[in-house]
Amino acid sequence: MGTLHYSPTVMDHFRNPRNVGSLEGNNVAMGRVGNPVCGDLMDIYIEVENDRIVDIKFKTFGCGSAIATSSMITEMVKGKTLDEAMKVSRKDVASELDGLPPIKMHCSNLAADALHEAIKNYRKMQAQQPEEAQKEIPPENKKIIGEQKFLNHGLYHRVDDISQFKDKRVIVPDRGNKSIELAMALTEQTGRVVFLSSSKDISGSSDIKTKLKRSDVKVLYESELLEIKGSEDVEKVRVLDKNEDEEYELSVDSVIILN
Amino acid sequence: MNVYLDYQAAKPVDQRVIEAMLPYYFDHFGNPSSLHKEGDKAEEILEKCRENLARFIGGEKEEIIFTSGATEANNLALIGYAMRNKDKGNHLIISEIEHISIHNIAKYLQKCGFEVSKIPVDQYGRVNIDKLVNRITEKTILISIGYASDEIGTLQEISEIGKIAREKNIAFHSDAVAAEGLVTIDVQKDHIDLLSLSSNDIYGPKGVGVLYVKKRVKINPLIIGGGQEKGLRSGTENIPGVVGMSTAAEIIAKEMGEEVKRFTDYRDRLLKNIPEIIPKCHVNGHLKKRLPNNAHFRFAGIEGESLLLSLNDKGIAVSTGSACSSKTLEPSHTLISLGLLHEEAHGSLELTCGRFNKERDIDEVIEVLPGIVHKLRELSPIYRE
Repeated sequence: MGTLHYSPTVMDHFRNPRNVGSLEGNNVAMGRVGNPVCGDLMDIYIEVENDRIVDIKFKTFGCGSAIATSSMITEMVKGKTLDEAMKVSRKDVASELDGLPPIKMHCSNLAADALHEAIKNYRKMQAQQPEEAQKEIPPENKKIIGEQKFLNHGLYHRVDDISQFKDKRVIVPDRGNKSIELAMALTEQTGRVVFLSSSKDISGSSDIKTKLKRSDVKVLYESELLEIKGSEDVEKVRVLDKNEDEEYELSVDSVIILN
Repeated sequence: MNVYLDYQAAKPVDQRVIEAMLPYYFDHFGNPSSLHKEGDKAEEILEKCRENLARFIGGEKEEIIFTSGATEANNLALIGYAMRNKDKGNHLIISEIEHISIHNIAKYLQKCGFEVSKIPVDQYGRVNIDKLVNRITEKTILISIGYASDEIGTLQEISEIGKIAREKNIAFHSDAVAAEGLVTIDVQKDHIDLLSLSSNDIYGPKGVGVLYVKKRVKINPLIIGGGQEKGLRSGTENIPGVVGMSTAAEIIAKEMGEEVKRFTDYRDRLLKNIPEIIPKCHVNGHLKKRLPNNAHFRFAGIEGESLLLSLNDKGIAVSTGSACSSKTLEPSHTLISLGLLHEEAHGSLELTCGRFNKERDIDEVIEVLPGIVHKLRELSPIYRE
C-alpha cells in the first residue's frame, strides 16, 4: 500500500479533494454506489441547467483512491452535458489520475458509476416518474434458524436479571419500545449492544428513538436476523442486510428476542 | 518530523546488535560442521547463543531450534508436531484471533486430514477458556494460542491454558512474537511445550527466529538436509543472524523494566487522550490486559487507509486493520472476531511504540490526529455527529 503505489495526481486529489459537499434544490439529483461493508461508499450530487452539469459535489467514505476518483470526476464533468457525462467511464477517471494500482481498479473506482446513477436519477425526476411506491413489508415473524437450539444458551425471550449480560456482546432485534429500553439499559452492563431494525426506521415513539440514537447502542437498519450459530452456546449470528441484499456474520454472546 | 509508531510491523536493528554481528561476516566466518579451528569457533558461538536464548525464556539449551523466523517456527511447531503425532489423534485447537500464519497453517493441516477448532474470543479479544475446555476431545493433540494479539495487544491467560493442556496431556504451542521483550516469558511457569520467537521483534536482524521444543516433545522436521539443529532444521547455520538475535535478547532482558515503564506511559496517554479529544472513537482490545506498547482505536465514519495516508503525509507511520490496506481486501479477522462490523473494522488505527520513540512522538500524534479525523469525516457520507 504506501504512498508510492499512488500516482502524484491521485495523492494531489486525495490531499486537496475538489468539490466536497452536497447540493440541494429542484434541479439537483444524487447518485450513491458502494457500501460501507466493503469499505467504499460515494455520494455524487449534480445540479443541472439546460441539460448541462452546472455544479457537482461529492462525499466519500473510503480509501485514498476512492476519494481521489470522486474528486477527479467532479472536475472532469463540470460544465459537460448529461450525454457527455454519461460517456465518462471508470477507465477514463483512472487514466486522468495517471493510473490506479491494479488491486484498486475495481473496488475503489466507483465514481463513474455514482455519477451515472445521479444522471439517471435526474432524468427520472425530469420525466416525473412517480417514485416507486414503497412497498411496506408487513413485519412477519420469520423463523430464525437455531432459535430452538440456543434457547437459554445465549438466546433469551425475557430478561429477569440484566447483570447476567455484564461484558457480553448482546444483539437485540427491534420489538418495539420495550426492546429499545432494554438495549439502552444494557449499555450500563456492557460496551457492545447491537440493535437490529428490519426497516429503515425504528418502531418506537419519536422520543425514545432520539434517546436510542444518542446512546452507545449500535443501531443497524434494514437488517434481519437469519440464524443463530455456535457450538454449545451462542457464538455468532447471521444477519441479512436488506438494503444491499448481503448476508454477513457477527460475533456475539447473547441474543435477546422479546416476545 | 518523522514519527514511527508501527513497531509491531517492523523494528530497527539496535546498533549494539549490528556491532556484535559484524565480526561473524568476515573474521569468524566458519561453518560449525567443519572440523578445524574456524569451524570450532563457529560451533562455540552458536552454542553460546543457544544458551543465551534458552535463558531468555526460561528453557534449556537443548530445547532451542534456530529457524529463519517466527513464521517458520510456527510451521515447524504445528505441522511438525501434527505429522509426528498423528497416531495419537487428528484434532488441533487454535483461537479465532491467531496470527495469519497460524490460521493458514491450520487450513493446510485441514487439507491434510486434520480437524481444527477455532475458539472464539470475547469483545476484548480474550480467549474463552471454558469453550476451549469444552472443545477438547480425546483426539486433541495440540493447542496453539498466541501469547498476545499482534493487532489489538490483548494478553491471553497463557499459564492457565498451559496448565489445562498439561493436565490433559495435550501439547501446548504459543506464538510469542507480539509479546517477546514486552512481558517476561517463562516456558516452565507457563507450561509451554512449543514456543515461537522472532529476532526482529526484539530489535535483532530479520530472517532469524527460534522454536523452543520442550525435551521429550517429538516433532518432524520440515526442512531436510545435513541434519543441523538435531535434524529438525537442516541448512548451514546463520551465525551472524543467531549472534544478532542472542545479543538482542541479552539487551532487552536488561532494559525491559525501564522500557516497559516508558511504553506504558506512552500507551496510557494515547488510550486516555485520543478518545477524550475525538468524538465517536473507541478503544479496541482490553484496557488493562494488553501489551504495554499497543494502542488500538476505531473511528466512526472513516476508513483506515485514508487515515494512514493522511498521517503519513504528516510524517507519522502507523497501521490499520482496514481491508483497503491489505493484500486480500478483507478486513482484519481479529477485529471481526471481536464482534465488530466490517464498517467498524475499516475505521481502525493501530499505534505501537518501541525503543526509539520519544515523548514528543506521542505529543505529535495527539496534536495531529484530531484534525485528520475531522477532515475525513467532513468528506464522509456516513458520519453523523
